[in-house]
Amino acid sequence: MGWFSTSADEKRKEEVRTGARAPDRTERKQCWDARDGFYRCLDKNNVVDSLTGEGKKIADKQCATEHKAFEENCASAWVTYFKRYRVAEHKKKETLARLEKEGANRMAVEGPGDTPGSKKI
Amino acid sequence: MSRSLAAPQKLLRPLLQSCPRTQQQQQCQRFLSTQSSSCRPRRPTTAQRCTLDSQSTSVSSPSRPFLEQRRYKAKTVEEAKSRYRTGPFSWKAGLLFVVTSAGLVWYFEHEKQRMQRKRIAEATKGVGRPKVGGEFQLVDQDGRPFSSGDLKGRYSLIYFGFTHCPDICPEELDKMARMFDLVEEKAPGALTPVFVTCDPQRDDPKILKAYLAEFHERFVGLTGTYEQIKDMCKAYRVYFSTPRDVPAGKDYLVDHSIYFYLMDPEGDFVEALGRQHSPEQAARVILEHMKDWKR
Repeated sequence: MGWFSTSADEKRKEEVRTGARAPDRTERKQCWDARDGFYRCLDKNNVVDSLTGEGKKIADKQCATEHKAFEENCASAWVTYFKRYRVAEHKKKETLARLEKEGANRMAVEGPGDTPGSKKI
Repeated sequence: MSRSLAAPQKLLRPLLQSCPRTQQQQQCQRFLSTQSSSCRPRRPTTAQRCTLDSQSTSVSSPSRPFLEQRRYKAKTVEEAKSRYRTGPFSWKAGLLFVVTSAGLVWYFEHEKQRMQRKRIAEATKGVGRPKVGGEFQLVDQDGRPFSSGDLKGRYSLIYFGFTHCPDICPEELDKMARMFDLVEEKAPGALTPVFVTCDPQRDDPKILKAYLAEFHERFVGLTGTYEQIKDMCKAYRVYFSTPRDVPAGKDYLVDHSIYFYLMDPEGDFVEALGRQHSPEQAARVILEHMKDWKR
């Protein structure tokens, strides 16, 4: 029984990894946790882009364990997506910071149903 | 009294008669001794008004002609005195003022918000406006046919996504579930929550059913053929980048618009709710539109 369930779990995990099956809530949670672990390691090593160049080298060397967990728990398409997302998010933050420094005003992008002071995402 | 006041005495007589003599003298003296600027009344009382009148007539200051219009004649000394004591204000007048202003402010704010919602709701109706939404024919998560007609008669909240979505759709679907619960609390049965997949190749009814069950049992999940979904997305102005005919086993992600589309009971687009709305805010917006509809 133990053997059977383990192999079924493995099969399911494999399906999630290859994208044959969409992950459910717990699997998504596991993936996000693994992703956050990987992100934390990248933060520690000051790596933004773990896909190319120097960043990839450092990430491969310093964050191998985290990367392995990340790949194990997430669909491969998601792994690439989250790595790219990190870069895009960083650029966005940089641009915002630059604009703010230049004295740009932040425009409210809220709908008319919004109240001021609402939580921004 | 100097000569300057002596000449227009004739002109001032009717006014001076209404003021107590001594007080008037006092005021005029003060007016003469200090310059005109320091004599300006902080409170328009009778005695001071007399001074003002004498000021405007005798010294004839053309820079303040409006003072002429503020003339007030008390008929008796008693009246003048009582008026001097209470002034034009009383607590009743104050209360009336406050209540009236508060009422007006509330009314105008209320109407402004209503008109704003109405404008949003009607911006997409009528001739020459971009039309969002339209007829469709898809299947729900139980494999039953589901068309645009099934949404008529109620508001509907439509969200586009796909089950392999990495982070945004699951978050947004959780938000949608919360939003729906909030609306359902206040207006049971008035809203249909709909999830339309942008990835029909992988998301068949069975998968949709399992996926949506994790978020809310009342969600309607719609799928169809690639062409049907493409038309649906086009009708709702949803951008999506689903590749066609991907070989089985190859993973891919889909880019798509991430708005909740609020549609009215006639199937017309009302408003798009986005990531910036919290579930509470979004539910409030929806409920407000619903209130407008009943009118």
